[in-house]
Amino acid sequence: MIHQKALYVIIGTVAVAALLVLTHVGEFWPFSIYPMFSRGGHPWVRSVVRDVSGSGAAPLWTAIDEASDLPGDPYPLEPAGINQNDIANFVSKSDTWDAKRLGAMRKVFGDALRFRHLLIYRADGNLNDGGQVRVKFTPFILITPDTTYLNPDVALSMSHVEPAQ
Amino acid sequence: MKKLLTNLFDFEREETAGEILAFRLFELGMAYWVLHYAWTWAFYILKIGDVVLPLGIAQHIDISFMFSHHLSLFNAAAITILLGVGFFRLWRFGYVSALLLMHIQYTARFSLGEISHGANIAGMVLLALALGALFFRDSVHAHRFTYGFSYLFLGLGYMSAATCKLVASGPLWVDGHHMWLWIGERTVDTFSLSGQIDYNWLQELTLNHVSIATLILSFGLLTELFAFLMWFKRTRPWIMTLLIGMHIGVLFTMKISFPANVAMLLLLAYPWGSWIDKGLMRMNVSIFDRRKHGRLRFT
Repeated sequence: MIHQKALYVIIGTVAVAALLVLTHVGEFWPFSIYPMFSRGGHPWVRSVVRDVSGSGAAPLWTAIDEASDLPGDPYPLEPAGINQNDIANFVSKSDTWDAKRLGAMRKVFGDALRFRHLLIYRADGNLNDGGQVRVKFTPFILITPDTTYLNPDVALSMSHVEPAQ
Repeated sequence: MKKLLTNLFDFEREETAGEILAFRLFELGMAYWVLHYAWTWAFYILKIGDVVLPLGIAQHIDISFMFSHHLSLFNAAAITILLGVGFFRLWRFGYVSALLLMHIQYTARFSLGEISHGANIAGMVLLALALGALFFRDSVHAHRFTYGFSYLFLGLGYMSAATCKLVASGPLWVDGHHMWLWIGERTVDTFSLSGQIDYNWLQELTLNHVSIATLILSFGLLTELFAFLMWFKRTRPWIMTLLIGMHIGVLFTMKISFPANVAMLLLLAYPWGSWIDKGLMRMNVSIFDRRKHGRLRFT
């Protein structure tokens, strides 16, 4: 009898969990289909933030193949209390860059922008024909204390972009 | 089916003192991780200003209301109180209410695009406790249901992860070159986090020998596929130990930690209750012997 009751609760939970994850792209916390690392060998997109406050010159929107060639100094996110995944997902999953979105990006960095010029790079990684990992760093957004600049080439590929303030 | 249910729940057996103590420690472990996430997310939500990717309930309501008026902090405080209410058995709906508020906290925190799975295990154990409290008046039955539910859904979760890998990439998912690509991805992440690029010894080993990378991925996939073995008493400690090993492997190779998973697996894998009982018995015997031989006197 008690086993039957437990079975009913479990069947009910499985049904609710299945319904929720099927209708919410596989995720309805705490339920998930756990798809992480399922796409073996697929290219990825991450991000790197550089402090270019000292350069003074206008940013060059050209892609770079080596991390050591990135301009400026590293801006480590961990001491700044910023989650790396959030910046990477901002860069990879945003197809809308309106004033609200740009403002949200600035809010994540908070006080760090009072005296800094931060250049956010989009890092695209893939396996080449020889099985080696290749990473291309493309400048994505330059955030200064009072202005936000979006890479004009990247902006062209977006579905909705408003001119940066 | 009867055999599976008996292995999962074991309702008929009496609950010992050690098992009661082990259950309360398990409950405290869950509470620690839920509170850890609730408060960490609460402070991070204050930095968020827009919804990039709506998850869960955020697909139906505008979750951005959580970004202002310090609502995330109030929500974390409410979760804290409700966990206390659940822990001290003051209200049957304490845990389920905490779970619902945690869902809102999760969707607010992860509205910037990341889909995090680090807190899912704590959420599933909280759900197990919530359902145990709601549907089982008898405390022994509630405890046994909580354990059985946790084993069942943890096993299903790991098996689902393995199935996703096989569906998305096929058996060649274990190709060591894939691990090279993920190590490259995580290296960019650590470069971004710390400003430095450094590989540990295991990463260097796998990057130098693709066969070792393939072996590590094969171990991970097989361990996840066989996670259903935690549904059975005899195989439970073994497969859960392998899963803990898998998480340690992920930590070293990809620098991704799942501390809540490891903690919950540790609490669920081993017969802590009977170990505590044996410890208590030995302690009693020891005290009895020492009293008998006059070496211990109570005044």
